Amino acid sequence: MDLAVQTFGITRKFGDFTAVDHLNLEIKHEVFGLIGPNGAGKTTLQRMLVTVLSPTEGTASVAGADIVREANKVRERIGVVTQASTLDIELSATQNMNLYGMYYGMSRKQRQERIPELLKVVGLADRAKIPVAGYSGGMKRRLEIVRALIHEPQVLFLDEPTTGLDPQARAAVLDYVKRIHEDHGITLVITTHYLDEAENLCDRLAIVDRGKIVALGSPMELKRRVTGGDIVEADFSTLPDTALKALERADFVLEIKRRNGGLTILVKNGAEAVPKIVGLVDSNGGKLRTITLRELTLDDVFLNFTGRSLRE
Amino acid sequence: MKGSLAICLRDVLKFLRQPILMMSTIVGPLLTLVLLGSAFGGAITLAPIAVVRESYGPYSSNFIDVLRNEQSCELGGINCQNSFQLMDVPDLDTAQQMLHDGVVKAIAHIPLGFDDSLAKNSKVFVTVTLDNTDPLSTAAIGSEIAQAGQQLSPLIQTSAQDSSNVTIDLEYAYRNVLYIEFMAPGTFVQSIMFVSIIAGGVQLVVDKERGIIEGYLVTPLKKHEIVIGVLLSGVIKALFASIALFVLAIVLTGIRPMSIFPSPNLLGIVLTMFTLFLTSLGLIAMMTAYAVRSTSADLYRVTCFPINLTLYYTSGAIYPLDGMPMWMKEISVINPETYAVHALRLLMYKGAGFQAVAGDFIFIAAFTGVMVVLAIIAFRRAL
Repeated sequence: MDLAVQTFGITRKFGDFTAVDHLNLEIKHEVFGLIGPNGAGKTTLQRMLVTVLSPTEGTASVAGADIVREANKVRERIGVVTQASTLDIELSATQNMNLYGMYYGMSRKQRQERIPELLKVVGLADRAKIPVAGYSGGMKRRLEIVRALIHEPQVLFLDEPTTGLDPQARAAVLDYVKRIHEDHGITLVITTHYLDEAENLCDRLAIVDRGKIVALGSPMELKRRVTGGDIVEADFSTLPDTALKALERADFVLEIKRRNGGLTILVKNGAEAVPKIVGLVDSNGGKLRTITLRELTLDDVFLNFTGRSLRE
Repeated sequence: MKGSLAICLRDVLKFLRQPILMMSTIVGPLLTLVLLGSAFGGAITLAPIAVVRESYGPYSSNFIDVLRNEQSCELGGINCQNSFQLMDVPDLDTAQQMLHDGVVKAIAHIPLGFDDSLAKNSKVFVTVTLDNTDPLSTAAIGSEIAQAGQQLSPLIQTSAQDSSNVTIDLEYAYRNVLYIEFMAPGTFVQSIMFVSIIAGGVQLVVDKERGIIEGYLVTPLKKHEIVIGVLLSGVIKALFASIALFVLAIVLTGIRPMSIFPSPNLLGIVLTMFTLFLTSLGLIAMMTAYAVRSTSADLYRVTCFPINLTLYYTSGAIYPLDGMPMWMKEISVINPETYAVHALRLLMYKGAGFQAVAGDFIFIAAFTGVMVVLAIIAFRRAL
């Protein structure tokens, strides 16, 4: 079995609404990201893959077992960190881990060996005995991540692992996640709507929108596929219509998008385009406030593939 | 002033948006009115009475007919029913065992020589032994039988000056049981029901709402393991609550269960504990079966309230079943709390043994079995 996850026309409807629409996907032993805006279907897809939601049509194979027919086999082979915390906050980290180990039928000896080891990995060894209610958001998340690893799963699913965390805690969580993949060779499937996160962490990404995959590839590939170009962000004090029209007509401009207070301009070559833009605006009576050249981000990629921004 | 108006408006608007919550404010009191009102307002009907007849003749036949035809009516003389359900029992020992086991509420003993004495126009005594562990029924049954005795006199052709040759002797089979003692077993059952609703069911629904159940669902736990685990933790909590209440009731209200007073009796204590255990299992299984498919904690809480009241009021916990109208008796037959209250009363105030409560145990156990199976079937492993 070479693939960690393979879906076969997997579909889930809620009443008339199709959340996941005949989706086919293959995930290797890699760090894989599912990105998309809220309601795109990525969480529904993941919940089906981790067997808490049944597909209305199609199926998938996860860690070599069928999610419908062999759900319990799948459950034994995967670890899951859900979006909403499932920790028992009244109990200590050790107790939380211990109970989870029992859910997986692990022996007392196995648990006693593995729990301190795992808690050390995420820097919680010295807080192991206090109730989780006293933990910070980042600590809780780290605990949940190692709790999901207690039975040495082949695939770890993380649903929005850094949502609600401050930047420092986010960085720490991502750091641990990365290390888990590198040290233990576990396949990671992460849903997120933080593009920087996906870009830094994932080997490959699938952009999900309206229940379908609209683009698939490594972050670099995806960016390359959009255009060969660069992005120029320009803000204006005044922008007469004549100046805008002149920019739209210019042959070095690929695309112009209006945004609040300015324009996002997609150009063939950024270094050449910036002085030309300045010249065009100036000669048409407009006044620039700022102009910056930046690399294409996944946000732009996303915008390009789905026609809407992630932050909408 | 504008601020108060805004707050008032906000609360009223939110109230109107929650019709179920609004209904619950009406349903509870309405149930209390209908159920408690019907129970308390009703007279004793179809109370089981053992008749031990040692004398045969026209007078004793007459007496039995009068008892058989005694009528009790609801307020305003409607829905009349026989007050008693007579059972012919061959001897006094058997009758006493039946009284002890809670099969009958009283024994009417028509002694040898009853007919002969009346024929000779001399006085006779009928001894009526009452199960006074149920103070409300006892009072009503005693007065009804005394009335029957009085009705009998004109039928008996004796000298006119002595109108009451028949004297009814009321005897009490047990020590005087206070109403607070009568009510106590129902309260223990009630505490179990509260735990079932709060700890068993709500926990499950709230956990489901908060997504905590998903923490179970992504692991290889089987659904029967989850349901039985929830059940067992509920039983532990319910046993803790009901035993604590049992002890508190003894200390604070002075109830005197025979299993402990005057001297502790191990079998009595074990059977009482077992009843509480079985009742916990049954009620938690019922509420779990209900909770596994509930998706809203609010709706669950609101609907539990009338379920709890209905079961409590129809269980005979605060008013004897004999005093309830027929439709309430029908509910009480399928109500597990009825059997729990019945068994606890027998054990606590009559010092009854296993065979007296075996029937109650069988019902509760069967009920539990059905509910556990229902809960496991209804539990959705995947959504």
